Amino acid sequence: MKLRLNPDACIACTSCVVQCPVAEATPEFLGPRMVGPAAQRFRLMGSGEDESLHYCANCKNCDISCPHGVLISTFNMMARAEQARKGPFSLRDWMLSHGAFLARALGLLPAALRNFGMLNPASRWALDRLGVSAQAPLPRFAARTFRRQLRTFAQPDASRSVVFFPGCYVDIYDPQTGLDIVWLLNRAGYRVIVPDAFDCCGLPMIANGFWEDARRNAARNAEELAGWRRKGVEVITACPSCALMFKNDLPEYFPELADSMEGAAPTDAQEFVLRLVDNGELPLPATGAPLDIIYHAPCHLRAQGLGLPGLELLQSLPGVRATNANAGCCGISGSYGFKKEKYHIAQRIGQRLFTAVRQSKAPVAASECGTCRVQIEHGSGKQCLHPLTILRRRMEA
Amino acid sequence: MKETTVVIIGGGATGAGILRDLSMRGVRAILLEQGGLAHGTSSRFHGLLHSGGRYAVGDNEAARECIEENTILRRVGRECVEETEGFFVLTPQDDPAYVDGWVEACDRAGIRAEQVDVAEARRLEPNLAPDILAVYRVPDACVDGFRLVWHNACSARRYGGELLTYHRVTGIEQQGGRIRGVTARNMISGEDVRIACDVVINAAGSWAGQVAQLAGLDVRVSPDRGTLIAFNHRFTSRVINRLHKSSDGDIFVPHGSITILGTTSSATDRPDSTTPTSAEVLRLLELGRPLFPHIGSYRILRAFAGTRPLYDAGGAGGRSASRGFHIVDHEEEGLAGMASIFGGKLTTYRLMAEKLCDHVCARLGVSAPCRTAEEPMLEPAPAGLLKRAAGLFPMQGAELAAHRLGASFGKVVEMMEEDRERQIICECEMVSRAEIEFVAGDPATHSLHDVRLRTRMGMGTCQGTFCSLRAIGALEECAAHLALSPTEDVRQFAQERWKGLRPALWGTQAREVMLSRAVYAATMNLDGAIHEQD
Repeated sequence: MKLRLNPDACIACTSCVVQCPVAEATPEFLGPRMVGPAAQRFRLMGSGEDESLHYCANCKNCDISCPHGVLISTFNMMARAEQARKGPFSLRDWMLSHGAFLARALGLLPAALRNFGMLNPASRWALDRLGVSAQAPLPRFAARTFRRQLRTFAQPDASRSVVFFPGCYVDIYDPQTGLDIVWLLNRAGYRVIVPDAFDCCGLPMIANGFWEDARRNAARNAEELAGWRRKGVEVITACPSCALMFKNDLPEYFPELADSMEGAAPTDAQEFVLRLVDNGELPLPATGAPLDIIYHAPCHLRAQGLGLPGLELLQSLPGVRATNANAGCCGISGSYGFKKEKYHIAQRIGQRLFTAVRQSKAPVAASECGTCRVQIEHGSGKQCLHPLTILRRRMEA
Repeated sequence: MKETTVVIIGGGATGAGILRDLSMRGVRAILLEQGGLAHGTSSRFHGLLHSGGRYAVGDNEAARECIEENTILRRVGRECVEETEGFFVLTPQDDPAYVDGWVEACDRAGIRAEQVDVAEARRLEPNLAPDILAVYRVPDACVDGFRLVWHNACSARRYGGELLTYHRVTGIEQQGGRIRGVTARNMISGEDVRIACDVVINAAGSWAGQVAQLAGLDVRVSPDRGTLIAFNHRFTSRVINRLHKSSDGDIFVPHGSITILGTTSSATDRPDSTTPTSAEVLRLLELGRPLFPHIGSYRILRAFAGTRPLYDAGGAGGRSASRGFHIVDHEEEGLAGMASIFGGKLTTYRLMAEKLCDHVCARLGVSAPCRTAEEPMLEPAPAGLLKRAAGLFPMQGAELAAHRLGASFGKVVEMMEEDRERQIICECEMVSRAEIEFVAGDPATHSLHDVRLRTRMGMGTCQGTFCSLRAIGALEECAAHLALSPTEDVRQFAQERWKGLRPALWGTQAREVMLSRAVYAATMNLDGAIHEQD
């Protein structure tokens, strides 16, 4: 697989180094240019891997900043896959990247027991020994997953349908956000379908080096996506990382699967809803109580280059004053900030954002990404909601 | 005035090999080189350690010498050699009738050439053209010419040999038909040096004709110019040769992090005709396409040229001239104590040195035998030291640095352990500040250019855009004694890089040059800085 990667486009301008949040937070990381395209030249000559590769958070700020389209994070992730293939198995990394599998395996236990099992001090101590920081804000399992709740959720009759890819975070830890989105779509006259066939998008597996597992999931998801494409039903997702995986990463990592997917990557749910609002299919309330919101744009959303539709939605709500925190990465990068040796780096990275959220007069923060929300609440102490949750609340008020 | 037994003129592989050989036999010798070590052809070739396959049909004797020396060098110079193996590849444009004769000639020369299934060859080298017809595996390897010269010189120094770089010979003194001494100018200080000696060895390669003239001799060395291209990454991990009668642009050599394509061949009357042209680059790309169809998408780092020191005994020039070597004792022409060595190629440099030293030692009455085929140039770095160093170098590059530095590796590891920040000055070739500071402190280092040759700093993707500035800053901080002012040093460094960039100024490398120009010419006003300082 490394043979497809040609490091020639990099001119060593170091734009990526300037924009890399990890390189700024720790000197231990050689930086995206060196670990990416520069090291690639040495990988081709059979050199051993640089020790600092594991510091890359796969946040994609390097890719965003590169003026020459170098797939920097792809170099890093492919190198990590190679390293994981050769190196010793990491139970910690496996657990953090196979959340959906674990949740299914533990699904028979009541959530309270699952949460007690995972989050009691003794377990946290044991997890800490495994390499999951005792200070990390691990999310709690929901009492019932989003999918199970949706089965008993009475959707009104509708002539049109849309498929929703929930992503693991909404499904396992945050079903309410999923239900809020279903409520909005029902209101606009759509019946929401969540196919059982959808599995984790695979991005956490990529980020932890479990390449084959990611391919398996990607293949399953690609087939399902293509099926809906043929039926003419649009697929949407509210998770920026899942969307990025399907739009950008999957075609780079598994080009043969991308062909079978027939270009059927999911649409950004916020973009979809914004379209409904613009078309008049989802009328916004005429008035609303004053509310300040501070908004954080997830790195994986910015990496898609589609603007900030979630923020636009918030700003179009009467009474709402939504400001973009514009304070960089929150540091969490999926499971990165939960890891013991990365926790403090993640906190340092997020410091600027935490300060901006704390100092803002807004009582609530908003962001599309589930783990960004966890990190922002942990770092700033303020509640952080999905923009579409806020939209629903304003429409119900 | 200095005094010695033998003065060797020319600091390429041959000269350095002779210095080492003589020093090991206990003969006092001083080597004079007009530039830095390997300033001539020894650093301006494709870096192929020939198996001999290329010469098997045309010059079977040279092919036999190649395979023998190839085997020896893997042993005594393992730090300079990458044992990649090579492929000879028949493309649809080549004459299939050539193959049987070639296989037979390889066999006759003692070169193992075994056929490889085309599908297997393409699995091993996926960038090879899909329409290739036949592939043979030979024991080609890659050799770092500069490092080879340097390690020879270092080994010679340990045996008492002396080395004067940046010393250009200005006169060869003779009296009564005998050599008395040599005068040379120190090109850095401008001082003249006189060295009394009994023997002068002319190992000046393409400059050998000019050196002979200083002694009033007339020898016919015809420099033959060859241009090569260096690509930014390693798209083949083996040496790839076209399986046909030796021609231009038919050898690809992986060389560390880069790939080199060579070579052209054209007569020139100047040994220093080393400025490549765009026409040569375009022609090489065209010639390389049958082997690597995507050659146009690989980024060119630079082009460079060297001159082959072909010896024109009978008037045959270019590709048909002998790749064998010739030793001439000028006593036959009435000058006792002077010998010249002509022709040859880098792969057989050691054998050339051995034969010449045998001849000179016989004249001097020295009976010590040659030991260069048995004794390695370097002691291998101790396993403990490599282990200590492993985490200090980026990309686990400790072994690469150990091979570059030889006996000095331990000292650099110590310096890196002290440098808590572990600064990397050249990020393209992953060279540390410690290594650059150490090399700058060597008496043979006078400029960033010298630092570059020993460390590979500035030889990668950005061609010195970032590292030359960082390096000069670091060297000023540690008060290294360089010959030039920092501004002039960087200017000359950038100018030398520019020489190789200019003939292939398109694609991504053109973007690179614009960035470099923005840094040096626009931001730093390097091209006008000297006047503004006044």
